[in-house]
Amino acid sequence: MFDFTVAGHVVPIFLLVLTGFTVGVVGGFIGVGGGYMVTPALIVFGFPGYMASGTDACHIAGKSVISSIRHRQLGNIDWTIALSMVGGTMLGVELGVRLLVYTKNIGLSGVVLLAASVAVMLGLFIYTQVETQKSHKKLTADRKAGKEIGREVKVSTLPLFFQRIPIMPIIKARKARLVISMWVIVIVGVFTGVLAGFLGVGGGFIRVPALVYVVGTTSHLAVGTDLVEIIVSGGYGALRQSMEGNVDFMAVFFMIIGAMMGAQFGSLATSFVRGPAIRYILSYSLILATVGAAMRLVYVLTGGTAEWLAFIAVVFTLGEMVFLCLFICTLVWFAVRHQNGKTVPEWVPPLVVTA
Amino acid sequence: MKTRGAIKFVVWAALAVALCSYALYAHETGKIDQMYYHSTKLDGYAVNTKEFFNATKENPALLQIGKADEINGLMAVPVKKGDLLPKGANGVIEKKIVDEGKRAKVQGDKLVVMVPWQIKESKGFKYRDRFIHKGVKTDPWSGVWNVAMTIGIGLCLGFMAEGLTDMLGWKIKKIEHFGH
Repeated sequence: MFDFTVAGHVVPIFLLVLTGFTVGVVGGFIGVGGGYMVTPALIVFGFPGYMASGTDACHIAGKSVISSIRHRQLGNIDWTIALSMVGGTMLGVELGVRLLVYTKNIGLSGVVLLAASVAVMLGLFIYTQVETQKSHKKLTADRKAGKEIGREVKVSTLPLFFQRIPIMPIIKARKARLVISMWVIVIVGVFTGVLAGFLGVGGGFIRVPALVYVVGTTSHLAVGTDLVEIIVSGGYGALRQSMEGNVDFMAVFFMIIGAMMGAQFGSLATSFVRGPAIRYILSYSLILATVGAAMRLVYVLTGGTAEWLAFIAVVFTLGEMVFLCLFICTLVWFAVRHQNGKTVPEWVPPLVVTA
Repeated sequence: MKTRGAIKFVVWAALAVALCSYALYAHETGKIDQMYYHSTKLDGYAVNTKEFFNATKENPALLQIGKADEINGLMAVPVKKGDLLPKGANGVIEKKIVDEGKRAKVQGDKLVVMVPWQIKESKGFKYRDRFIHKGVKTDPWSGVWNVAMTIGIGLCLGFMAEGLTDMLGWKIKKIEHFGH
């Protein structure tokens, strides 16, 4: 047990280390900060809501540094895209926070926040799931036909549209092998930043699909590049939250210790899989988070009468964290078995790499 | 490669241990608390809320009112907006609340606390509304300290882990994004 004097609660250290580890695995694999999972977990441990949110923002910045170092070693970061996006992301986050304050002032905050979360995440889930299933089918067909399969397979033609926009300056992202107007990247940064600031999260679950389907990077590059963005946006968020007095540094400290191990595993796990596997897990993460947010929305809309809904929403969110972590571990285990020539379920071989 | 990895691991591990030790030292000596519970943003009484968490209307807590640099036990130190908080304080009971007399009131030289916490609701979550953190202003530099320490520890642990895998001879290849 540890007395978190700032948060005003006594919590077992292992719970925070475990939370850091679990979110580290998921975040390192799909390139998200995991704010939508950690904040409810901290609330369940007894942290006040504002303290949970601020502590989470600070932990995300530290965890993203750890993941980014490993993704840099794996070659998963396109620095041109990351640096082009930083300014837009910062501006977007600030606009999002101001929009949140405005809706709060007119008394709409809770409902608008939850409804926006549900709508955005549901839309992203549907698009990502449909596109990834098509990619999976293509991978399976190519494999059966004996064709060589690349690390990345996408069937979306959206990036081609955005890459054709001829507004100067045009930049060349060498690692991602694409040429695109810098304004597209900046606007993606602003848009995802607004959503992140408004929804009070790091924004990885919006930015990774945006990098894949708008900018046109591979899933692996989107994960690594997004984690660099999260260092900046999370660091800025952490600074603001700390100055407001919403951060318990010791809780951040113990979660980072757990994240050190989890983020290593999650980041290295990306080297075992093809792009669609990352997008599948991202989409599952999106739908699970959507269900959790939808339950809280129903609870708020019913005037808080169905108390069991709020409780189930929190339990569901925590379950999601563990489920995603176990899913990633299982996928890596199957990948290793497949590499060693052992039997694996039929859906696995197209999603993992053999060497 | 293994020798370079070993050097990298040792250097970053030493830095990580130094930073982590400093963080624990700052916690143990109360430096973190002092930065967090820095000054007050309203007029009222600085208190240590842990001392009267179990108080009830039937069995209220009686806090001795008086000036002090440190709060030990059931004490309430009168503070004005902008004053530095005494050591050990973790909340301020606003003068307005004391004047209302529903949750706390003054009786002679004692502050009587009857309702130390109550259930409230925000964004679909029910929570305990306590006096802890109330009226407390954090030292703005604590934000810089928090972020610098977080990023610093993240960097040290990240490079330490990288050094460890190099030292163990694990060949971590760059991913061929466009190859097979």
